[in-house]
Amino acid sequence: MARLTVEANENAERYQAFRAQYGSPLLILDCDQLVHQYQQLSEALPGVEFYYAIKSLPHPAVIDTLEKLGAGFDIATSGEIDLLFAQRSQPRHTIHTHPIKRDDDIRDALRFGCTTFVIDNIYELEKFVKYRHRVGILIRVSFPNPSSKVDLSRKFGCKPNEVDLLIQKANSLGIHVKGLSFHAGSQCPDSSNHVNAIEQCQHIIEQHNSKSKKVLSILDIGGGFPVKYINEVTDIHSFCEPIRKALEKLPDNLNLIAEPGRFFSAPAMTSVTTVMGKAHRGDSIWYYLDDGVYGSFSGQIYDHVSYPLTVFTDYTERENSVLAGPTCDSIDVIAEDLQLPPMTIGDLVVGKQMGAYTSASATDFNLFKRAKIIVINQKEADIETVSVSTL
Amino acid sequence: MKTYTETLYDSYGQAFNVDKLYFENKTDHQHLVIFENAMFGRVMALDGIIQTTEADEFIYHEMLTHVPILTHGNAKDILIVGGGDGGILREVCKHTSVENITQVEIDAQVIDMCKQYLPNHSAGAYDNPRANIVIDDGAKFVKNTEQRFDIIISDSTDPIGPGDVLFTDDFYASCKKALKPNGILVTQNGVAFMQLDEVTTTNSRLTPYFKDHHFYSAAIPTYIGGIMTFAWATDNTELRNIDLNTVTERFKAANIATRYYNPEIHKASFALPQYIMDALKT
Repeated sequence: MARLTVEANENAERYQAFRAQYGSPLLILDCDQLVHQYQQLSEALPGVEFYYAIKSLPHPAVIDTLEKLGAGFDIATSGEIDLLFAQRSQPRHTIHTHPIKRDDDIRDALRFGCTTFVIDNIYELEKFVKYRHRVGILIRVSFPNPSSKVDLSRKFGCKPNEVDLLIQKANSLGIHVKGLSFHAGSQCPDSSNHVNAIEQCQHIIEQHNSKSKKVLSILDIGGGFPVKYINEVTDIHSFCEPIRKALEKLPDNLNLIAEPGRFFSAPAMTSVTTVMGKAHRGDSIWYYLDDGVYGSFSGQIYDHVSYPLTVFTDYTERENSVLAGPTCDSIDVIAEDLQLPPMTIGDLVVGKQMGAYTSASATDFNLFKRAKIIVINQKEADIETVSVSTL
Repeated sequence: MKTYTETLYDSYGQAFNVDKLYFENKTDHQHLVIFENAMFGRVMALDGIIQTTEADEFIYHEMLTHVPILTHGNAKDILIVGGGDGGILREVCKHTSVENITQVEIDAQVIDMCKQYLPNHSAGAYDNPRANIVIDDGAKFVKNTEQRFDIIISDSTDPIGPGDVLFTDDFYASCKKALKPNGILVTQNGVAFMQLDEVTTTNSRLTPYFKDHHFYSAAIPTYIGGIMTFAWATDNTELRNIDLNTVTERFKAANIATRYYNPEIHKASFALPQYIMDALKT
């Protein structure tokens, strides 16, 4: 997808109909897209169980749709537990993956029924002494991943050579370590980080299991599966091919799990914004939209992503243009140096691939109303319903 | 087929077929269900943990009630902390020699709900004129009460959740204060094979307050993993060495029908397996 796509005016009708019914700005959440993405990844990684990373898009319809497909959930906070609780999700299929937790966070998770936790250091391990008879621990190992868009190895994860000591300590405390996890990064350009991490984990697991009766039985390969925004990315089947090969070499009885977030949620949401003002400034025309980087486009700041935008016109001329958000802050600019057709107040700008880390990190700055989320194609009680909410 | 899977342990657990769902409440971060299961009858579970079932509750309720009362021999004033399902109250009411029964339950709705959906647990005991039901925080009540009791029975939930205050130093200290001379505190204390820490923690917390403390046990099928322990604490070090004849006489005099409890079981329940004895030494 290009940064900017110009489509014929008539193609705007579908979005105009949504706006007429629900107002603007909107985020349209298409559950069929979630199903499609889940199936794609299932085919690319046979034998791997998926635990959706709720943080990327914590919406009930996403939980509901993915749970019906058989997904479990990766939870990081008590707020995310509340969401699953309200959805009546099966707690057996959850893992608590935040490496740093308060005692109350652990208790909330246990009361919900989640018994798998992730740690990466001794202080965190010691928090589980009181709960040692009830829990199973994954140790998060860190492998540097300079090529990924977001380096997740810096803030969390122990070094590979620290795993042995952590397991020994856990054994002496009577805490069950059942496996390893890693995060190869986010939106990875290729799977070399994954393969490297799998191979190193394989080495650790085989070494450990050859000398200990308490075996490591789970490998959590994290997320990082890329989706296409502006630039081409490797299709998921090809991306996962080296991962599949690396996983085939692992011991047969190892349980494999992954925590995809973005890959499931990003393509599932489309934003609908409206031009609410325009001005000539310098060489450019500035268009002010009713959603910006403090809202649904927050991922441009936090997630370092630019989203493919679509406008609708029958004009052929183009002008140097800026798309700005609605707040009073000068940082609230979505795109500059765009060659846009002339637009009038009330025209639509549509954003694609807007599902992951968008509304999830939106703010209420200026108390500008957040985009409403419209859910379509949700299979619920055998009728297809449209529901309206914000996160 | 709908199933209910207990989430008490990470690597092991029990699951029930849910033949009929009677009640489900998800409020205040608490998940309570009552359902029908072919083998266990009505089953109540809270936050992923089985609380009681119609089929095996008699073991738990009889042992937590008759062992202290018949050991004491002259118990007139009984305090029940928790026990909203009414099973303990039912068993205490069988002792006509008991004069006053106070039950402190934190949540009135639990009692109403159990009367409605688990009526066989209380079996009408809530209407007994000797029963005084107080809706209050049990730990707070015991701390502040001026009343003194011969027996305190703590029938609590798991230590993670609303019942956690009933496993603290403070609570045991308050119980000590609220007991008459020769008074006995008994509490549910978890399944030792699965959670040995509950035994060792309670043991060390009781030590400062009671001259004698120990555990007795019974196996309750749906508290999985072997025998459940009940904590026993009193200042009368002779009580738990009561001889079989005395228990037998008192049991006969009490003239109560039981399905698990009998004087031999009473005596034998204080014999603990060596792994628990070893844990108590450390």
